[in-house]
Amino acid sequence: MNNSNTMAEFHTSAHLWGRVTLGLGILISYALPLYLSYAMGYHPGFDLILQSFLAYAAVIAFVWVLEPLMYFAILGVSGTYIAFFTGNISNMCLPSAAASQDALKVEPGTEQGEIVGTLGISAASLVNKIILVPIILLGLWLLTVIPPSIQEVFPYVLPAIFGAVLAQFSLKRPVYGLLALIVGALVNISPIPLVFKNLVVILIVVFLGFQLEKRKKSE
Amino acid sequence: MDNTMHIANSWPIWAFASLIIGVVVFQGIKFLQLARKAGAGIGLSNQEMNKAIKTGAITAIGPSFGIVIVAISLISLLGNPLTMMRIGVIGSAPIESLGASLASESAGAELTGVTFTPEVFTLIVWTLCIGGSGWMLFTLFFNKSLGTVQEKISATPNGKKYLSVIALIAMIAIFGSLTSAEMIKGLVPALTAVAAILSSLLMNLIAEKKKIIWLKEWALGLSIIIALTVTYFII
Repeated sequence: MNNSNTMAEFHTSAHLWGRVTLGLGILISYALPLYLSYAMGYHPGFDLILQSFLAYAAVIAFVWVLEPLMYFAILGVSGTYIAFFTGNISNMCLPSAAASQDALKVEPGTEQGEIVGTLGISAASLVNKIILVPIILLGLWLLTVIPPSIQEVFPYVLPAIFGAVLAQFSLKRPVYGLLALIVGALVNISPIPLVFKNLVVILIVVFLGFQLEKRKKSE
Repeated sequence: MDNTMHIANSWPIWAFASLIIGVVVFQGIKFLQLARKAGAGIGLSNQEMNKAIKTGAITAIGPSFGIVIVAISLISLLGNPLTMMRIGVIGSAPIESLGASLASESAGAELTGVTFTPEVFTLIVWTLCIGGSGWMLFTLFFNKSLGTVQEKISATPNGKKYLSVIALIAMIAIFGSLTSAEMIKGLVPALTAVAAILSSLLMNLIAEKKKIIWLKEWALGLSIIIALTVTYFII
């Protein structure tokens, strides 16, 4: 009972501060183009803005809804507020939450898992900005300093991150790791639209995994 | 073009970019406090919570460098402050460059050269900023309902257990999907992923068997570096 009181109180403050910070973020996001248009006088016209926005939304709008839904079971209330503000959900937030939960041996989707995951994601968000800001300030100069042979490795950062996280999680249930890789490969070479691919894989693997878990229990 | 880049790097844009990064940082600190307080209430020790923070922070180092290095390519296109603003909040280098090229196409302009006027730049800012706010708006308005659904499910018998099993399998499923999508792109990304999987498996197994705590915390970061080192030698 005590635990659920603590969690209820935590969720109330998480909603409050999550909404305040996201609201501010949205306001600032709209303030910048308004400033450029009207204070600096470079308004491109709303016809063009609408046209350009629709072209963008046609490709991306699905993802606005899909990603928060898809990741909610793992991120929880507080993790969702942080991840969908700071960004880089699959390549930074989820791995950090996962690593923290793993280091403390708590399961995602539980109360302890949610708190530990939030601590991990918050820390990750801060570290990300500490690294981002100075490098942006140095900017293009950096590219002239890093040898080209090392820069050639950068495009392969994603398979390295994803593979490492997959292995870490599959340690507990190796069968599912293998299953996810196989289903993932099949779905990804199939002609399903790109934005739905991850969702389809999640649905299939969770469904199969859930049946397996039930069978395990009933035996 | 020169004039446009001058505007793209002017102080007002730095000001807006710094402001939004400031809010992200404030959010991170605020949620650390909230989670610490709640963690104490559900029986997590200070030591455990510090370990969670440390592990999250260490794990973010590798991905952050990856993100930032890719982001640098945007600077020549968008200028420094807008790049900081777009990469510092939700959005990613591929999505932002897609948005920028769609915006300039709408205006019939090229992102480099004389047609890249301050108006085209402003159009890009509109597109990227409204576009990026999509995720934030959805989360702002619907996260609470998602939370309510989750609470209802956990209140049912076995609900909590099911949620936790689903979360774990969903996690494996997402990363299985993301990894295989990279692997089918070619031999080099496939080998990189295999190297990452093997080194991560090995390090996590050793850390668990020998109870080496620091190895557990560094396992992800080190696996990424090892995998990229392997890649360096095969390309």
